[in-house]
Amino acid sequence: MSDDVAAAGDVTLKLSDFWSAAEEEWIVSLIDQFETKYPNVTIERTREDWGQLTSTLNLQMQDAGGPDIATANNGWSSLGTLAKGNLVLNLDAYAELYGWNETVPTTIARQNKFTTDFKTIGEGSWFGTPQARASLIGVYYNADLLDQLGIDVPETLDELETAAAAVKAAGEVPFSYSGLDGNTAALLGLQAIYGTEGDINDFVYGDPDVTAADTGLTDAATTLQEWSTKGWLTPNFEGIDYQTSLADYLDGKGVFRFDYTGSLGLSGDQLNQFGYIQLPQAAGDTTVGVGAAPGAMVISAKYEHPDVAAAFLDFLMSEEASQTAADLGLVPALHEVETPDVRSQQGEAAATATLDADDGYVPYFDWASPTMLDVLSQNTQLLLAGRTTPADFSTAVDADRDAFLAG
Amino acid sequence: MSITQAGAAVSLETDDGGSAATGAIITRYRKGRTSHARRRARMAGLLFAAPGLLIYGVVVLWPLVQSLQYSFYEWDGITAAVWVGFDNYLSFFTDPVLRSTLGNVLVLIVFFAVLPIALGLLSAALITAGKRPGMAIYRWIFFLPQVLTSVVIALLFKRMYAPEGPINEALRAVGLDALTKNWLGDFTWALPAVGLIGTWVTFGFCMVLFIAGASSIAPELYEAARMDGAGPVREFFAVTLPGLRGQIAVALTLTITAALRAFDLIWITTRGGPGTSTLTPAVALYKAAFVNPDVGQAAAIGVVMAILCLVIAVVITRVSEKE
Repeated sequence: MSDDVAAAGDVTLKLSDFWSAAEEEWIVSLIDQFETKYPNVTIERTREDWGQLTSTLNLQMQDAGGPDIATANNGWSSLGTLAKGNLVLNLDAYAELYGWNETVPTTIARQNKFTTDFKTIGEGSWFGTPQARASLIGVYYNADLLDQLGIDVPETLDELETAAAAVKAAGEVPFSYSGLDGNTAALLGLQAIYGTEGDINDFVYGDPDVTAADTGLTDAATTLQEWSTKGWLTPNFEGIDYQTSLADYLDGKGVFRFDYTGSLGLSGDQLNQFGYIQLPQAAGDTTVGVGAAPGAMVISAKYEHPDVAAAFLDFLMSEEASQTAADLGLVPALHEVETPDVRSQQGEAAATATLDADDGYVPYFDWASPTMLDVLSQNTQLLLAGRTTPADFSTAVDADRDAFLAG
Repeated sequence: MSITQAGAAVSLETDDGGSAATGAIITRYRKGRTSHARRRARMAGLLFAAPGLLIYGVVVLWPLVQSLQYSFYEWDGITAAVWVGFDNYLSFFTDPVLRSTLGNVLVLIVFFAVLPIALGLLSAALITAGKRPGMAIYRWIFFLPQVLTSVVIALLFKRMYAPEGPINEALRAVGLDALTKNWLGDFTWALPAVGLIGTWVTFGFCMVLFIAGASSIAPELYEAARMDGAGPVREFFAVTLPGLRGQIAVALTLTITAALRAFDLIWITTRGGPGTSTLTPAVALYKAAFVNPDVGQAAAIGVVMAILCLVIAVVITRVSEKE
């Protein structure tokens, strides 16, 4: 094992990832930078769309001609299955070599770890690595509309609710929301405001002593339902799909919107028109946010040059990688870098800086079980139609996870 | 599947000399030959059919056997599979969500099969009753959905069912604001709304099938019925309907299996929601196979669907052939 890439001789590295648009520019730029640094390395990249890669990666990695490095989806269904099947390398030795245990916040590191008996996720050995950028859930706001209505940018959940009431009173839509294809961003965004970092992490990583109610899910569901009852969500959201509501939001319909960073695809004037806030916890002044690297990088167990592959993964976590992300309008993480002076990006970069410092990342809640995303989407629809209660919602979530844990 | 079978049939026929007429002549000519030659001819026939049979075996039969095998295991696609016996099948009845997909399919059958066939019969009766100019164009228009890609259809209807879409706008325009709904997002209306897309798609097919069938009913039968003093309604039930028995059987088989297999329309419009109100076995199968790796469960759903399709096809054929 060595970090001396130049000494490895001529090496070809096959990379498969699911990044497009700005994310694609990011990885292409980093490949260029790495190849310039190490002319003996050639990286052949294949892009597949997210659904295609996540649904076929388990098969691809079994094939001798499969990728040497790939972006896997975190959680049991992709990363966990690959690790369990001995298809990807245990990266502990490289974590030691490159000092990942020190440079990566533990709440991010846990997302890539499994115990070697593959019974537990969130602790044990490294099987994947993050990148120097993150994908978060937070609140976007339309600064122009807030300005017109004479409302200040909220900084806490209470202020957000006060602002929403004022927006409603002024005849505008407080929250842009869609329900047709299942929407979990608002619910999970709220959960991170109510639940603690420890409880949410532990629940997702299978600690049977933590229940969904402990993670703030019941509170989040209660709040979301209240917002719906008060008419704060987009009218007729039940029949509106995600893409339509997003287009309407960018068009100026709705003031606030819970969403994943990067999903809005802001450009030009929009970068200053929209801002981003990572609200602090409802109780206490720390910040917890749903956030993860936009993929878990894995090294195929079949690859002959794991040292080179590991060096490349380390490079994807470097300050250069973080700076490249910021330059391309993506959300940098792991390092504080210079961010373009536009409203949305400043807000997003401030969010990762706070979460890095508070070690306050929580994983996507749907990693808790392979069927959790369905359970969340279905129950959110039931909740907002008044067909389930926040407490029953949490019970359904517990039942799904416990059934999965029971195997 | 049908293509391979057709291929095999063609090869066999070519061996015997092409059309039925020449075939008959050749058979007569062959009568004098020895049984040895006949056996050789049969061997040659099998030889011609072999490539088709081989492909059929590898592409259809073998995966069928594999699916059956998978359905008895709990397997994520990579790690060692665990034998679970009939558990995957039992969950069809014990898992409330999976069980509800069967109920949803029953509703879809009404929209995919019963309604289009009823409408198809009605319109076929109307069209054959009186020939008017421009009928071919109507027929073409109604048949159009059959040649459109289902993804296009689903997107079109998603647009039409939108809260501000044409259907709600039309309702508002005539003062029926109370009837406007979030069609695809409503727990009560989403399934019928998706079902109606199916009606729209299969209706034209049924109609064209029935018109073609009706035109082959001997005109003397209608004359006889009229002589006996039958009105249009009586005529329909006494002559047209019995005459279309074969076509109705075909339409039923195809449309019911289409309802059982319904996936694309639902995946694009509602993804099975709101809640699980439009979830079908095919959507559940897709999720089990590709989203949450539970290959055994997916295979079990597939096997149950295949058996149901087969049973339905057999029952319909039996019933329709009975005199």
